[in-house]
Amino acid sequence: MTHGAGDGLFERVLDGASGDGAGAELYERRGTLLELIEDETGSTLLESHERGLALRLFKAGRSAFAAAGPERADSLPAEARRRLPRARARRGVRPGGLGPGEVAEHRPLADPPPPDAELARTLLTSFRQALTASGRGAVAVREVSVSLGERAERLATTSGRDATWGSRLATLVATVVGRSSAGRYSARVVGAASRPEELPVARLAHHAADRVLLPLQGRPFELTRADILLDALVASHLIGRLAPLFFGDDEEPLLSARTRDGRDAFASPLVSLVDDATAPGGLVRGVRDGEGTPQGRTCLVERGLPFGRLTDLAASGRLSRPPSGSAVRITWSAPPRIGVTNFFVDPLPGVSPLDLLGGVSRGLYAAVLLDRPEVDLSADTFRLVVAGYAVEKGRATERISEATVSGRLSDFLRGIAGIGDDLKFGLGGTGSAGSPTLLVPRWKTG
Amino acid sequence: MKESADLMRDAADAVKLVAGLLRRGESGEAFRERTRTETWTASETGLLAPALAEESGTAVRIRREGSLLLVARSGAGPEALRDAVREAGRRAGNTPFFKAHRGTPPPAHPHGPEGPDEEEGHTAALAGAFARALPDPRGLSLSLEVARVVTERTVITPRALLRCGVRTRLVASGTIRRAGSERPFSFQSARPFGEAADALAAALREATRPVSGLPPATGPVDVVFSASAASAFWHEVVGHALEADAGDRGSVLSRVKGAAVGPAGLDVFDDPGRADLPGAYGVDDEGTLARVVPLLSGGVVTGLLSDRRSGAVDSNGHGRTSSFRRPPRARMANLVACAGDASLDELLDRCGDGIYVRDVAGGSADPESGRFGLLVSAADGVRRGRRGSPLAPFALTGEILAALASVESVWGREVLSATGLSVCIKEGDAVPVGGSAPALLVRGLVARAARR
Repeated sequence: MTHGAGDGLFERVLDGASGDGAGAELYERRGTLLELIEDETGSTLLESHERGLALRLFKAGRSAFAAAGPERADSLPAEARRRLPRARARRGVRPGGLGPGEVAEHRPLADPPPPDAELARTLLTSFRQALTASGRGAVAVREVSVSLGERAERLATTSGRDATWGSRLATLVATVVGRSSAGRYSARVVGAASRPEELPVARLAHHAADRVLLPLQGRPFELTRADILLDALVASHLIGRLAPLFFGDDEEPLLSARTRDGRDAFASPLVSLVDDATAPGGLVRGVRDGEGTPQGRTCLVERGLPFGRLTDLAASGRLSRPPSGSAVRITWSAPPRIGVTNFFVDPLPGVSPLDLLGGVSRGLYAAVLLDRPEVDLSADTFRLVVAGYAVEKGRATERISEATVSGRLSDFLRGIAGIGDDLKFGLGGTGSAGSPTLLVPRWKTG
Repeated sequence: MKESADLMRDAADAVKLVAGLLRRGESGEAFRERTRTETWTASETGLLAPALAEESGTAVRIRREGSLLLVARSGAGPEALRDAVREAGRRAGNTPFFKAHRGTPPPAHPHGPEGPDEEEGHTAALAGAFARALPDPRGLSLSLEVARVVTERTVITPRALLRCGVRTRLVASGTIRRAGSERPFSFQSARPFGEAADALAAALREATRPVSGLPPATGPVDVVFSASAASAFWHEVVGHALEADAGDRGSVLSRVKGAAVGPAGLDVFDDPGRADLPGAYGVDDEGTLARVVPLLSGGVVTGLLSDRRSGAVDSNGHGRTSSFRRPPRARMANLVACAGDASLDELLDRCGDGIYVRDVAGGSADPESGRFGLLVSAADGVRRGRRGSPLAPFALTGEILAALASVESVWGREVLSATGLSVCIKEGDAVPVGGSAPALLVRGLVARAARR
């Protein structure tokens, strides 16, 4: 159901929630999503529009959450009040107020414009053409979809915060099949961008072709120890899995254990880890987080040493530091939780990936991931199943169908001896994860 | 949640609207959904923060020669339906006929469909379940989300408004950490709340026990599945392979319809009518009456689970969707395997040296290539026909046709509902599923290290 900007529902619910000595935070989201799917049975066009409101009440360290669509939004204050006494108190739990230099906007939301189906069709056609070129006729699309989403958000609190902002996301997901005399191999690839025109269609097609042809055309990797060059997108998947180590105050003991309470470095001095909602190329273009806190750049590891943390308002209160703007609302109907925006290895000290390749005497260039990376932060272990190219004296020699890169995660991070300047992002966690090409000499392979 | 009348209150108008939208050669329907989710975050110290989310939505779907248009809107009332029909008509190039809307006011639910006392009771029951499951939480770290989800659905076809019914389930998911190791936890039950909370307590107690033992040696192994774990085996090996959307080449089972692939006397069927299992429904999400579908009869491939887009076959009531925003697909409901006449001891004896799988935490299948995998969360070694020490979590993999051919010709006499099988996720769409099966022995599956 479409609604105009000024139906007064938001103000009515917030008024209803005020009083009783409780603080209130009201969030509204309006979103549109268009998804075009083409598969062997035909095409599917999905178009949806949503609107939802979510209220949190705060009192003496307790908070209660209630969310509903516009039909039932008027009942939110009563529902949250009923739940508030059942919540357990925790230090730092509070609604956000006006920050320094921040002004209350009092701007009602309007529905985002309907997405453009023609643009989605054009992107699908471009992907098919690029895949035909990259796969040289040996790769076919089984299913491909493009989704274009846009949303507008508003958040106001009884402590004076009132802000509106918006964001967009475009994704392309494809299941492709490679065929050769060795058989068939299928894989699913995902590309995303904060705007449809930035979708890396050609790069994704090339990646998709590699993903299904390398396992069919290469040979298994035989060395048990080799220099490892992780392609930027492969490395981004591994890097993305580190993010929970930096969430709030709950996971601090895990990070302390990894660094023996700060006596060891977290990673090589070449590595700085950053979360930045405004990072160029990042898939998230954030202005504010799910609690209305302005977002920016947070340094989490500085030259290999732990430095900062990702916090929402409650965790920042407990840690006595400013909030990093890391409260994420996956949907309007769930309370915010700590997550990433664009979480990445800073490529500032990086060199050209070709220079990194030139420094490899005998090793493996891991071009694609064949399986979801296995990372156990508690046990400090990881395992990547990859395909790529054997490297000898700085040159790629032959295709590798499968290799396993595994071992102790902290040793791998401390062993990074070179990083590229080719930062690339993929979807990861609650936002995106990015990395440049990474070089780790003399690592265990299988 | 009692079935609310407001999804039905404009039945006559809604049916006319949908009928007026469709042109010759098109089929379609409207779909309404209302979901109420009470959530508690929980740690090793018990329940922390309560939350409530109520979401309702309407979708209009039009199918024409293999293509599908789906338009979804927030809200499950007449206005949302008219808006979705209007937009679907515009995108499909149709001109639906709109009568003036009578403007029925939405019914008032000042305190929601459930009273405060009932919710208070749920909170107390859950808190009790946590206290029983974790009498001594030292050394444990839990990060869980526990939710009671009530979903109500109706389908509006060009002829009638059909109730799909109201389903309630208790769902829990998250992670459990103990002494440098972390394991995922998931649970679901469609039983009445008290029984479901007891089952959750039992599952938590089992999951928080220290994992002793090593995983089995990698390589081929003979496996006895408990009755509960056997449901997960049938789900991956037979169920997914006989859903009618397995790609242009079909699945390894649909390609051999009429062939004997398992032992004679083995019957496996999908039964959406089993109200005691989580996957139950009376009418599917496309408005087709749910039917029991025999998939293997006497070991022979006999059926296919189909929806309205399945093409060559008519729908047999298995068009299911995870949400009003997503298109239905042919999906399983409750997979049931027939009883045999062996005892568990007989199966272990026949196994000799191998593995006894008590519980399976998850699985996957690629019906086209025939590969499948199961993540085993609880198992014991078997030596000379006797259960031995527990094993750490590991994975079992195999090939569908080879695994079916390796099912021992006798199987358990006691058929039990699965406890581990809960939500099935396919292409990102999660639907509740159930299973009921006897214990069985499968030879030559491949054990390998578990992935995280």
